[in-house]
Amino acid sequence: MAALSRAGTTGGAPQGRPRRWFRWRPGPVLCTAVLAVMLLIVLYPMLLLLYSTFLVEQPGGGAEFGLDYWINSWGEAGMGLSIWNTFKRVIFTEIFAVPAAVLLAWLVTRTDLPGKKLVDAFCWIAFFLPALPVLMGWILLFDPEYGLGNQMVKAVTGADKGPFDIYTFAGMVFAHLAARSVAAKYIFLAPAFRNLDSAMEEAGRISGSGPIMTLRRISLPILMPAFLIMLCISLLHSLESFEIELILGPPTGFYVFSTKIYQVINEDPPLFGVATVLAMAVLISLLPLIFYQQHLSSSRSFVTVTSHFSSNLLRLRRLRVPVFALVCCFGLLITAVPVTFLLMGTFMNLFGYFNVPEPWTLEHWRSVLSDPPLIKAAVNTLIMGGAAALIGVVWYSLVAYISARTRYPGRGVIDFLSWLPASLPGIILGLALLWTFLNIPLFRPLYGTIAVLVIALMLNSISTGVQLLKGNMVQLGAELEEASYITGGSWFYTFRRVVLPLMAPALVSVGLLTFASAVRQVSAIAMLVTGDTRPLSMLQVDNMVDGSFEAAAVIGTLIVFLTLVVAAAARVIAARLGFSALAPSRG
Amino acid sequence: MRRRRARLLDKLKGRFQNEFSDLRARDQNLKNLAASQQGDSEISTDDAAEAFLTLEGITKCFGSFKAVDDLNLAIRHGEVFALLGPSGCGKTTALRQIAGLDQPDAGVIRLRDTVLVSPADDVFVPPQHRNMGMVFQSYAIWPHLSVFEIIAYPLRVRRWAEADIDKAVREIIGQVGLSGMEERSSQTLSGGQQQRVALARALVYRPDVLLLDEPFSNLDVKLREQMRVELKLLQREVGVTVILVTHDQVEALSLSDRVAVMREGRVEQVGTPSQLYDEPASPFVRDFIGQTTSFPVRFQGAAAGGGFTAALPEGAGTLTCGRSRLDGTATDETVLACVRPERIKVSPAEGPPGANEVAATVKALLYHGDRYECWLMLAGREVMIFAPREPWIREGGTVHLQFPSEALSLWPR
Repeated sequence: MAALSRAGTTGGAPQGRPRRWFRWRPGPVLCTAVLAVMLLIVLYPMLLLLYSTFLVEQPGGGAEFGLDYWINSWGEAGMGLSIWNTFKRVIFTEIFAVPAAVLLAWLVTRTDLPGKKLVDAFCWIAFFLPALPVLMGWILLFDPEYGLGNQMVKAVTGADKGPFDIYTFAGMVFAHLAARSVAAKYIFLAPAFRNLDSAMEEAGRISGSGPIMTLRRISLPILMPAFLIMLCISLLHSLESFEIELILGPPTGFYVFSTKIYQVINEDPPLFGVATVLAMAVLISLLPLIFYQQHLSSSRSFVTVTSHFSSNLLRLRRLRVPVFALVCCFGLLITAVPVTFLLMGTFMNLFGYFNVPEPWTLEHWRSVLSDPPLIKAAVNTLIMGGAAALIGVVWYSLVAYISARTRYPGRGVIDFLSWLPASLPGIILGLALLWTFLNIPLFRPLYGTIAVLVIALMLNSISTGVQLLKGNMVQLGAELEEASYITGGSWFYTFRRVVLPLMAPALVSVGLLTFASAVRQVSAIAMLVTGDTRPLSMLQVDNMVDGSFEAAAVIGTLIVFLTLVVAAAARVIAARLGFSALAPSRG
Repeated sequence: MRRRRARLLDKLKGRFQNEFSDLRARDQNLKNLAASQQGDSEISTDDAAEAFLTLEGITKCFGSFKAVDDLNLAIRHGEVFALLGPSGCGKTTALRQIAGLDQPDAGVIRLRDTVLVSPADDVFVPPQHRNMGMVFQSYAIWPHLSVFEIIAYPLRVRRWAEADIDKAVREIIGQVGLSGMEERSSQTLSGGQQQRVALARALVYRPDVLLLDEPFSNLDVKLREQMRVELKLLQREVGVTVILVTHDQVEALSLSDRVAVMREGRVEQVGTPSQLYDEPASPFVRDFIGQTTSFPVRFQGAAAGGGFTAALPEGAGTLTCGRSRLDGTATDETVLACVRPERIKVSPAEGPPGANEVAATVKALLYHGDRYECWLMLAGREVMIFAPREPWIREGGTVHLQFPSEALSLWPR
């Protein structure tokens, strides 16, 4: 990466004579190339999508500029309702998830709760658990007919109908809460809570307010900026949710905007006009949120770390054990419980039926593992995950280097474009890419190949990847590199002995994270997958939609295994980075 | 003072084993050091012929901001040269141009006869071919290498034989006082140790010039004083030319043979520390270096016995001033009389004031331990002096202030 600014420095002229340094200036050229590609794969598809909503196809062929799609699409059944449903589902989820995450983060970072590492681990696992396999576990438990929970209630009370039904609005909200909704917020909030100078809290306590009052009146206001960013990010993420609604919604006719888009695209003929209008309408309504989040993140007003901060912990006393039990129950609920039932499902002859002659079997594993589509899907998953990770790491480091280390005038735009995909709902990103690949003759041959999926997956992780690498580069500081040039190191020597060893752990960890998120990804690629390029995650979706829950459970188990192992490896490497003490210790 | 010096030398004894013959030589060295601080060094000021490193018309802009503006410097071989100025004055930018970490927009930098950079001729020697050493403000200690490997790095770049590397690294490690820490991971080092490693890395390949970018700003006060002496002795021993960038005037005055005071990308004054202190060329240098007590006076013209006469307001008396920075000032015009507070002599107010002596009222005494910071009312103005701890100096009392004429200078308002 350092090559950008310093390539071509190897002059072999003897010491003591003036040397000409032939400065091939790769910096601006390469930076502009990166900017161009970013514009092409991020902004261009979005603009094309917007443009296409005004381009009305005429019955006799050709297209005319007009507002027909914008006007007529709303006549399509369930259009407005799907947007209303989206926000309803998000608001009901967040009402429970946000307080739960705040409480959890506060308990873990500011009190003497035992087993904090355990809670931390629970949340990280829940964060990486793919949504669909987890949902499988919950379906097995709360299906109105054969759900294990319902069967137990029936057996105990003798009622002929169980009380639970996951195919409802409440069931959907529960599935979200029990997936990564709370965990992701906790992961974001915990560091901010941890760094809060406890003197501020203590001042509040001394002035006579109790712990809850202190949290409400002092800690939360100080942490407000971090809290708001968390809220924006999780709203955006919650809004783009796709898989859970895709499985739980249709049986009761409940559609959110993402599943609606998916539905109309899969109709024959596909209603592209409706889909693009819906996507644009949602995107436009999200714009204020997107820019507010960007504004918050860039203003960096939430530095609460002081140089000599102390973090005295609040003593829970008598509540210590009960609270710990409660937190542990929650931790198990979002991790072990669904995974256990998922695993159980793979060994059941008929998903959910225990009163058949032979409820347990290995047949599903045997048949699925020898199933050619599965093997093909597994190969596809590995190829596209691996490619997205490899290309992603190279691309993310280029982008991160430009925005962290150069004075390239367009780096602000590159920064913005690298951050934008995280705020775009996956289904819209996928739709825009689909539109681009179908409409640009140059790209059309790529449609139906894995390359399309790799681009989508790479974009999907770009924000996280660039942020992580940028943070790492900023932390390393330019002086570490410069010290090598001064002492006589050429660019290549510096890269080999200083830059690479220092960056390698971060690069590996970003690559693994990209891979893990590629393996579980559904929404961003749902539009772009064809029969030949179908990966495991989409195979599972198709199996679930078809009702082959046993095969879906086996595939889900494989995905869980892949993501968790890879994500764990990434975490271990990131922890071993250990260069957190890079800044010189003062005094 | 003597005992403290002896103790310090004892401590240093272990560190500089081979070079000095005995303690006395070191004592002499320290005396020279003290002498150069007093300002009576023999180095003449304006002899560009012996310049070792020259900067001519160096200009560097960041956008529309001129960080360095037409900078001209001539640095001599073997001297310690400081770039001193407030933050944002362009001193670090200038250092980075010398190092080759940045390219100037215009100007020429020469080392001996070699042109290092000249944008007009499209010449740029990259930093790795300049044979300079640099200690960064953050020290830039590579976290993935051991102390030995960090210091050996420049020699490995130069493909030295393993045995030579080992010898050279161990020698410099001994010189900077890190013996026994060769295999330590650099992440376990304290700030002072990190600085020693950075210094050893910068010196191990015998660079022509050693560049120091705010080298002590990350150290606490005690360690800073110690490192200052050690660096000075090490520089004398190695004989390397040093360019030091600092915003700390004590650091610049005590370490350097010559200092360039910079302001807004330009050099205000170049001179020995004593020249800067005693004969500042501009109000900026006067106020930036040391403390200045100033009060308005009315200019009266040249005095009979040399110097200039100035009258204090409210008829409080007249003063003879040794020097004047005035240019064509009319008689009776109000100007500023400036004096370093420690040059003002305080005596009990007995009898009428003598020549260049004025009566003043003590308003406040701030206790400093060894002396008072004394605020006085002098002809309707508050001025500050340093006063000895005498019983006759009381708040509300009157004292006589004697201004030696050679310490007084006149400046435009």
